[in-house]
Amino acid sequence: MFQQFELAQGVKLYVRPTEQFKTINISFKWKQQLTEEQAAIRSVLANVLQYSNDVFQTNAEFRKRLDDLYGAVLYFDTGKKGTHHIFSLNAETVNDAYLSNEKVVDEVFNLLHTVLFKPKLVDGKFVDSIVNREKDQVIERIQSMYDDKTRYAQQRLLENIRPNHAASISANGTVKAVKAVTNEQLVAMHQTILTEDNLSIYIVGDVNAEEIKEKIASHFPFADRTLELVHDVEVVKASTENGFLHEIQDMKQGKLHIAYRTPITFFSEEFPVMQMTNGILGGFSHSKIFMNVREKESMAYYASSSYSSLYGLIFVLAGIDANLQEKAVKLIDEQLKVMQEGDITDLEINQTKSMLSNQLKEALDSARAQIEIYDQYKEINESFTVENWVAKWSNVTKDQISQMAQKIEKEFVYFLSGKEGAGNE
Amino acid sequence: MNESYFKQLEETLYHEQLPNGLEVYILPKKGFSKTFVTFSTKYGSIDREFIPLGKKEAVIVPDGIAHFLEHKMFEKEEGDVFQQFSEKGASANAFTSFTKTTYLFSSTNHVLENTKTLLDFVQQPYFTEETVEKEKGIIAQEITMYDDQPDWRLYFGAIENMYKEHPVKIDIAGTVESIDKITAEHLYECYNTFYHPSNMTVFVVGAVNPQEMMDFIKQDQAAKTFEAPQDIQRFFPTEQPNVAFEKRSLQMDVQKPKVIYGIKSTNTDISGKEMLNFELSMQVAIELLFGRTSAFYQDVYEKGLIDESYSADFSMEKGYGFTMIGSDTVNAEQLAEKIKQSIKEQAKEGQFTEEDLKRVTRKKIGFFLRALNSIEYIANQFTRYSFNDMNLFDVVPALENLTLEQVMHALESLKDEQKHTVFTVVPFEKNGNE
Repeated sequence: MFQQFELAQGVKLYVRPTEQFKTINISFKWKQQLTEEQAAIRSVLANVLQYSNDVFQTNAEFRKRLDDLYGAVLYFDTGKKGTHHIFSLNAETVNDAYLSNEKVVDEVFNLLHTVLFKPKLVDGKFVDSIVNREKDQVIERIQSMYDDKTRYAQQRLLENIRPNHAASISANGTVKAVKAVTNEQLVAMHQTILTEDNLSIYIVGDVNAEEIKEKIASHFPFADRTLELVHDVEVVKASTENGFLHEIQDMKQGKLHIAYRTPITFFSEEFPVMQMTNGILGGFSHSKIFMNVREKESMAYYASSSYSSLYGLIFVLAGIDANLQEKAVKLIDEQLKVMQEGDITDLEINQTKSMLSNQLKEALDSARAQIEIYDQYKEINESFTVENWVAKWSNVTKDQISQMAQKIEKEFVYFLSGKEGAGNE
Repeated sequence: MNESYFKQLEETLYHEQLPNGLEVYILPKKGFSKTFVTFSTKYGSIDREFIPLGKKEAVIVPDGIAHFLEHKMFEKEEGDVFQQFSEKGASANAFTSFTKTTYLFSSTNHVLENTKTLLDFVQQPYFTEETVEKEKGIIAQEITMYDDQPDWRLYFGAIENMYKEHPVKIDIAGTVESIDKITAEHLYECYNTFYHPSNMTVFVVGAVNPQEMMDFIKQDQAAKTFEAPQDIQRFFPTEQPNVAFEKRSLQMDVQKPKVIYGIKSTNTDISGKEMLNFELSMQVAIELLFGRTSAFYQDVYEKGLIDESYSADFSMEKGYGFTMIGSDTVNAEQLAEKIKQSIKEQAKEGQFTEEDLKRVTRKKIGFFLRALNSIEYIANQFTRYSFNDMNLFDVVPALENLTLEQVMHALESLKDEQKHTVFTVVPFEKNGNE
């Protein structure tokens, strides 16, 4: 899918020349092992670099420059994948071909260089007032999760089943960790990212691969780095076998979140089989959970399962009447049980195969998704193609799915509801 | 089949109106794997009072019925339509807005077969008292889900503050009480009135052969029989120009107050080119006053009065329209005051230059070109423009021709403070409530 170039040790460039899009997408991804403290520092750094640099006096001046370049998009972001924290710098610019006599692409490269290599430093430190303001912004971002009940419930579930583990550590860190971030740590982290972090650079658009390689190499002279990253997820023997927690907030709906553990991860040989198994259980609108919890029993508006393959976890989420928690759990348990007993139809298998391949092909119609999907799948095999994956799903049999369902173990039920459901325990 | 080529964008659009009145548009996109097909009716939550097909008297139907109908279209005597789509690898969905209901699928394979499934399920209603009753539980859960979302409550709170009579103030899904009144008979009445092909549009975008697709749809429609088309009579109450409430707030379980500063628009009885120009002028005006490069934004960001949730937008449909500036904020009152001041001081002659206008229109053109990479964006927007007699692909030339005078006129329309309102969602007061 992508052409590869090694620009330096630990610095790889992936280019996908295509006429599919009217824009060019650029993404720098710096990876490091994920810890709460580092995540907090990196998130604040992303904001500080986003909102200040040494070339433009104010953020408004900087944004005006982007607007002049046909509203070029340029932003820092943080995220996580498995046990890695990802600090990224992303840009999207209109391809010069769609504009008359304009050279916006080169200008965007210049701006990328500015935000990365020309931070606003006073006596070797960032500006304290900016650091404090951006710490507040990150803290507010973390706290806003509380207002979104689904995200909050999912985070509470993760904290209960995998405390101090990559699965539950947020890419933004915690409020406490962000508060503790110092100016010196930010300066040091900026250097670490530039010189030590494992770096992948992605470019998708109507470009010439060799030319773009030269351009990147001359704008961004990254040196060799030797950081070895491990992506093995620590296998945790659950401390919360069949755990249950009901929490109350001022709200109307009941948010049911169930966690299951499985030894199969993204890196397992049987990964495609588990994707099929999850698809039949609750991944789609033809799946057992949707058909039974929503369509048959009318208990929920949403009811589905998702497979978090990097952590070997499966989650079932449903929004239900606060008094129906026990009934819903029982119904969901039954869906997994019948799969373990082999009650799986050819229709369900065919539907799931069609949907998985459609999903993957559709996702690749977006440049950002091409980058994200390749960034993950290249960890298994750098010659990733859609056809390879479709073929893997096609070969999955009913017996394999049933055996895979037996490797799914329920671990924890978390329920968040209003006071109404309190009499249910 | 009519063919229009948009040179600057390198896009070709195919169009035909079929004998039964159905509008069909096809936009082939090179290099894409998927095809999106949408089937929309000009019927949404605001259409609650109308003369049913074949009747003489107007009726008022229960709130939330357009959305309820959308849900029920997926259930047929032989089962759930999702099953058929899944089998052919298509993701199907539907949504109801204030003014339209759209059914859609996307797939990378079996596109004609999936198109057939889409056309058939939308054109063959099947409602029974039993299936209607069953759906009430599902929709009640959807409504309670939205009830728990502070941003949704904030948005509707702001609309309710602005509108005294117009049904835009009613939640699209209705209430648990209003949907309880819905019967199969209601659904047929709404269906027969609003789902006639002459009130509907099919839009196809993506990996598609236009001639083959057009022929396929024509053949399908020719084989079906429909009643003669009839003009739909809809009624809307007279809305006062000023806001219904200047200021209201709601307590919820939130971390930080949320505020929307709303400005009601009265220039809403327009369509076509006039609507396109007004809408774009308003968007540019909002960007100049409240965008990320504005003096206002710089000031409130540095003072910590806004955070990443900040937004400023203008939206309209025939009959209603509003500007909303909103954010989570530590001080809603102070932020609202700053917004008010900013309009007072800046919405006038001499504040903005041709250069400012040029910069903002460039940004908007860039946004539009980026958006055209997304088949979803095109599919979602195209029909909305078409239902208002506008063409999505006229956006770039219209932006290029926008004058400072038009933008000043738009800015001027924001000044009347009797059209301003503030709605806040605030955390529960600690004492007494716990």
